[in-house]
This record gives sequence, structure tokens and C-alpha cells, in this order.
Amino acid sequence: MKTRALVIAGLSVLIFFGAIWADHRGTVPVPLVPTAQGHCVLPTALMRREHMMLLRQVREQIVRDDKNDRTDRLTNCIACHVQTNSAGAPIPINQRGQFCAACHTYVGVHLDCFACHATVPQKAVSIANLMGTKGEQAAYSIPRVILQNAPASLSRGHS
Amino acid sequence: MTGDRTDLVSDAAPEEGHDPSRRRLFALAGGAVAAVLTPGVTLFARTLTVGSGKTPVRYGLLIDSTRCTQGCDACVTACQDYNGLSKKITPDTAQWIRKVTVTDPQTGLTRSFPVMCQHCAQATCVDVCPTGASYRRPDGIVLVDKHRCIGCRYCLMACPYKARSFVGRVVKDQKPWAPRGKGTAEACTMCVERVMDGKAPACVTACAERGKKAMVFGNLHDPKSEIAQKLAQFPTTTIRADLGLEPGVHYRGI
Repeated sequence: MKTRALVIAGLSVLIFFGAIWADHRGTVPVPLVPTAQGHCVLPTALMRREHMMLLRQVREQIVRDDKNDRTDRLTNCIACHVQTNSAGAPIPINQRGQFCAACHTYVGVHLDCFACHATVPQKAVSIANLMGTKGEQAAYSIPRVILQNAPASLSRGHS
Repeated sequence: MTGDRTDLVSDAAPEEGHDPSRRRLFALAGGAVAAVLTPGVTLFARTLTVGSGKTPVRYGLLIDSTRCTQGCDACVTACQDYNGLSKKITPDTAQWIRKVTVTDPQTGLTRSFPVMCQHCAQATCVDVCPTGASYRRPDGIVLVDKHRCIGCRYCLMACPYKARSFVGRVVKDQKPWAPRGKGTAEACTMCVERVMDGKAPACVTACAERGKKAMVFGNLHDPKSEIAQKLAQFPTTTIRADLGLEPGVHYRGI
């Protein structure tokens, strides 16, 4: 009788502290998302929830519907959200802790945009500069355009 | 869905955000035939629109092989630099433009000129693409939508100009204006980003600045454009004109 009570008590203590320990271990700190310069195309809350819809919608419009004047495109997102290192060089947006990677790591959602798309902005280089040796190191710039033509509403499921 | 080919579209259960009646209106406007099989299932047959029907814009190139010389590769290096392509050509890297030297065995006449995607009006790559990734823009530029490309390489087989490449290895340091990645087909884009900015493609600019001024870019359908006037001035041809693909790249002196 006494042994059984002792075992139960021991187990309870184990479970109690085990739970505390597991809870502590399981807490992943909410990522510190680097802030961008300028204004976003949509309110932050909406962007957090709907940015993939917007990106998909805009990509279809640019690639397939010839709406090349869309400024709310991925390259501009990157240009605005990119961070620079101490030397002033842009840090790839999908690097650990950077704008895209910070959240995507936290929520465990794989993103494959950057298998193809550039991770740092770059100013279009003139062909004359390209021919020289220094053309490739052209700096990037924050796009002048702050977007106004964001869609009025983003419907879920639309691509 | 483009109206480039005759296709039958079965419109089964209406999808979300899809208005079948609007679709029918488009089909009818395009001179098509529609047949309602059962309620909710409609077949549309669209008429073939031939690419040479004059659109306001059709971008093209004119390459003067009488000016192009064998030693010059300004166009090739400019393309590689601008679009971030590998300079080392292996079977799994892409090549958008290459220099070709041909000799007539009977006369010994030798010509050197660049060959790239010919941006055909009747593009075979577009015809064979199973996912609709290969497509032709209304301005005549033939592109790959890499979001849809599954890397089947049918287009590589179909293209008589061997203009398409398959990217077989992980790509790094892409240019923002030229997204490229492993597992997709790609070809010359006629530097569509530059063209949209009102500039000539990188190869044409490089040829003018560092090369032999052998390339002209412009709107083939604008009679006032330099390219249209030159095409009207002297005889030109397209490579394998016998195939009837109506390429947008014209050659002089071959």
C-alpha cells in the first residue's frame, strides 16, 4: 500500500516537472522581423495573412496578363525589406533571421521562391557598364515607388 | 487560355470565381462555336488565329550576317552577364544565344551569326508544352512561365532551332530581372524587362556598342520602325523558313 502511494506520488512529480520542462523546451521565441523602410502595399495584419495570395495574383498578372506596370511585385518587396550588413551590402532575404526566413522558420512553412528569384535587390545595370569590370557590383536601391494601386480586396482562393 | 489554337474546353462544375456565361460571351466574341452537351457541360471550339495576322506590336530582330564577324562574341557575353547565365557551357547549364559559323561547301562562303530563340509566330514549343508554361505574348515574345514548367523538356525536343535549354543544376546569384532555377526550361526572353522599359535587348545594345552593329531590334509591325524599313530595303530570310514557323528573327546574307 505504502509502495503504491509512493510510486503514484513519484510519477505525479515526474509528470509535473516533465510537463514544465517540455513546455519550456517547446517555447520558440516569436521572431523579431526586421522592419522595412517605406510603406507596405497593404496593412501589416492583412499582409501577414494574405501575402501569398497577393504574390500569386500579381505574378499571374505580370507574367501572363502583361501587366508589367504592377509595382507590388516580389522584387520590390525584397528591395524594401532587405537588410544591410555592416559593410552596407544587402543580406539575402531568405537568410536566417531575415525578413522572409524569420517568419517562415517560425511557422515551419517551406518557401521555394528563392530557388529561382534573386534574394538581394540589384539595380538594372547598363550594358556599357556590364562590359567593364565593375558593372556587376552596382549597388541596389530602394524603389522610389510607394505603392498606391493595391487591390481593394483580396479574395481567398483567387490566383 | 489563349485563342492561339483550336481547343475544346469542357466547362464542368463551375469553379469558384468563374462565370461560365462570361466565358461563353468571350468565346462567341472570338468567332467560336459552343455546344451545350448537358446543363453545366459546354464544349467550345475556338477558331485558329494565325500569328501573322497583324497585331499592333510584334518584336523582332534583324541580324546582318554580312557585318557579323567570326571572332566577335559581344552579344553572347552581354547576354550571359546581363541575365546571370553561366559562362561555362555544360549540358546542364543554359545557353540563350550562341554564335554559329556556316560554310557553303560549294562556294566556300563563310558566315558567322548569332542564333537564339527565334520567337516564332507558330512556336512549336508552345504547341507541345503540356502545362501551358511555354507561351507567346501578344507582342510576339515567346517565354517560359517557370511557375508552370514541370521540366519535361518537350520544348527542347520540339524546337528546330535548339534554342531552349534545360537548367539541370541549382542556380545561385540570379538577377532580379531574370529569375531562373533548377528543373525548368528556358530560352532567350528578348530581354523582356528591358524591352518593357523601352530599351533594346542586351545583345543588340552590346552589338551596337562593342560589336559590329549587326543587330537591329524593333517592332516588325510598325512600318516606321528601323527594323521594318530595313526589312523592306534588302532581302532577308529566316532560318529554316521552309518550316513555316514565321520566326521573329530575320537574317540578312545567309
